[in-house]
Amino acid sequence: MSDETKESGPLLIWFTAVAFLIGMAAIFIYAPTEQMEGAVQRIMYFHIPAAWLAFFSFFIVFISSILFLWKKEREWDIYALASAEIGVIFCSLVLITGPLWARPIWGAWWVWDARLTSTLILWLIYVSYLMLRYQTDVGSMRARFAAVLGIVGFLDIPFIHFSVLWWRTFHPPPKMISPEGLGAGMDPSMVTTLMLSLGAFTLLYFVFMGQRIKVEKMRDEVERLKKDYLYTN
Amino acid sequence: MNNLEYLFAANVFVWGGIFYYLFRIKKYQQSLQNDLDLIKEAIKKGLQK
Repeated sequence: MSDETKESGPLLIWFTAVAFLIGMAAIFIYAPTEQMEGAVQRIMYFHIPAAWLAFFSFFIVFISSILFLWKKEREWDIYALASAEIGVIFCSLVLITGPLWARPIWGAWWVWDARLTSTLILWLIYVSYLMLRYQTDVGSMRARFAAVLGIVGFLDIPFIHFSVLWWRTFHPPPKMISPEGLGAGMDPSMVTTLMLSLGAFTLLYFVFMGQRIKVEKMRDEVERLKKDYLYTN
Repeated sequence: MNNLEYLFAANVFVWGGIFYYLFRIKKYQQSLQNDLDLIKEAIKKGLQK
């Protein structure tokens, strides 16, 4: 690891912590309470960034998997695995925070509408991806199978995004990215709060990625040393 | 209509999830570091013989 990376790690962690402090202050103090939904609407400041991060993580899996299949370099495989793990964590948070908002608003924890069902399918695809990965030896055929699954799984994301526009669903239509414009119909302070939360969560993704990549490279080093020195002697 | 318990629960899950994952990475990193140290020690001893 270069000195530059060593120095940027803690700096990024501190920067992320400060971003979260600002974000939390905005969520609980600055943002107004929504008139119809009340305090429970504040869950959206966690739910939307978690969904954004899940989609972004799986996009990185998609790109890294293509590059892994093309270039056959372990580096891309590591990026795909790290990002898939982070994506599953955040997709799980989406599937938990969504029902926690839905219960008081819709009167039901879960409805089988297109958006919710396709998000659950996305989660199941990437959980399968990880299950396949955890049984995979480095450089084996299964790593390639997992890469194919990582690419195919991503195709569900455009479907999730457009599902609320193509079908009549319980899930509200996109508020931030709408045909009327960015954040149209939302109070400006709510848009600012959401942007701050999105920024903090995005920084967290890079913190997680940095740590997870470091760990995976350590694992490779352990495996290499075992193979070169211990198993051969 | 406030339903603060749902907001509280969402916070518990979000922060719990974030810290659980960080803790898991750190634990895995520690166990790998131990393995690495042991292997390096074994190699050093092997080279000395």
